[in-house]
Amino acid sequence: MSDPGQGGPQGVLRLGRQAFGPDRLLVMAIVNRTPDSFYQPGVTWDPTAAMERVHVVVGEGADIVDIGGVPARPGDEVEVSEEIRRIVPFVAAVRDAYPDLIISADTWRHEVAREACAAGADLINDTWGGWDARLGEVAAEFGAGLVCSHAGGLPPRTRPFRVAYADVVDDVRRTTLALAERAVAAGVEPARIMIDPAHDFGKNTWHSLEVTRRLAELAATGWPVLVSLSNKDFVGETLDAPLDERVAGTLATTAVSAWLGARVFRVHQVRETRHALSMVSAIRGDTPPALAVRGLA
Amino acid sequence: MPATIAAAALCPSPPLLCPQLTGRRPVLPELRAACAEVVGRLLGQDPDVVVVVGPGAATGTWDAGSRLDLSALAPGIAEGGRGTAIADGGRSGVPLAVGLGAMLLDQAGYLGPRHLQAVGRDETAGACAKLGAELAGSGARTALLVMGDGSARRTLKAPGYLDPRAAGFDSGVERAIRAGDLAALLELDQALARDLMATGRPAWQVLAGALPAPAPATEVLYCDDPFGVAYLVAYLRPREGEEGTR
Repeated sequence: MSDPGQGGPQGVLRLGRQAFGPDRLLVMAIVNRTPDSFYQPGVTWDPTAAMERVHVVVGEGADIVDIGGVPARPGDEVEVSEEIRRIVPFVAAVRDAYPDLIISADTWRHEVAREACAAGADLINDTWGGWDARLGEVAAEFGAGLVCSHAGGLPPRTRPFRVAYADVVDDVRRTTLALAERAVAAGVEPARIMIDPAHDFGKNTWHSLEVTRRLAELAATGWPVLVSLSNKDFVGETLDAPLDERVAGTLATTAVSAWLGARVFRVHQVRETRHALSMVSAIRGDTPPALAVRGLA
Repeated sequence: MPATIAAAALCPSPPLLCPQLTGRRPVLPELRAACAEVVGRLLGQDPDVVVVVGPGAATGTWDAGSRLDLSALAPGIAEGGRGTAIADGGRSGVPLAVGLGAMLLDQAGYLGPRHLQAVGRDETAGACAKLGAELAGSGARTALLVMGDGSARRTLKAPGYLDPRAAGFDSGVERAIRAGDLAALLELDQALARDLMATGRPAWQVLAGALPAPAPATEVLYCDDPFGVAYLVAYLRPREGEEGTR
């Protein structure tokens, strides 16, 4: 087992200038600077709408905003220069508006990550399993964080096709641990590294359910676990629910994942997620209820 | 020794053929029915042996008791597979297409002799055809169950996204099967097939090697791409009076 150093189950997760203990459940709000992402495509393509979305999610209790410029699904090629154009000025604008907000850049390309970090991003959210080996170098250079994910070895923006694993959780664990170790070797501060099993990425619905069921095994590695569940296909297939009817399924999965040790939740619905996570924290006894007078008068 | 292919059936090999893998709702009942029907016809020939041929990582033979490891595709619901490679290049687990062929035989209640044959995904057309001729030349009256798929890049939502070459590739295969022109399958471009994620290419070329001229009588029972992957179900019979001689 690898040594997560400053991180770990009892360890602190550092993002930007802030530090979070293991009992703090963090909400990462998705802000897509794309015309064609899978959920509500194009809704924050306009920069004004995107900034308005940041104001809303901050008001709803988001700890992190995750700014992305390329959809995960296959589609028109987005060149590096175009991805930079989509997200970097916006990162800078959000940094100006919110000096202390944790900003994450959702990219798998080190060139984009470098520009985003220079513009003020605190975290590089690489959903594609370290496809670009130089991301760690960029994170180290800027003192930024890095998300180490499992995409089953798929190239960026490709779909799973008949994927099979002898043991999907073991594959996730080995892959993300290796990426975390690679990041440490590249100079990334251990307390700024997270692992993400990346539900749906290189996985069918059975695999994503198994990863959720056994999430405690990933939490037990010591690295803080980020989960990105929001409105994904494994929720849709499980419930036979179209895109606009997956919130309850997402929240159920969120609560189970939090219970099993996930610490960061990448979501579209910030307010609902915040409520779900607050319930989990109270049930665990990590935070008291906001108010407790029932039967106490 | 005379070649004795009694009949051949062509089926696709998506995991979703397996009812245990697709959840509570029925998935593609018409495809499953077509596969069941074509396997039923094949077994109706009362063959001495059924040879299942499907693409795999490497060419090799699997013991007749081998079954697909469903747990690799659906952890949490299924037990692991069983079976050992007699010679498969050292990989564990019966290949998907071969395992699904074995499943179709099980679903049909077939208890007779079976030979499970993987053909390496990178084998050349010549090597595939040679393997087909060997399988046909065993001396036993043989039914061939050939498991293979067309392009997985037929639509924007396809597993491999849209490749404009996919439609032409798949219609060429369909034309060849409908016409019984199996020699045309030997002309398929190996690199193009790989680009298009058309996993069936080597298996089809084994079929072509097993049923050389004259053209067999063929019937297509299913030809569609409901998830952007080309699925073809077909039944092939040597022409009357020509069975078993070559």
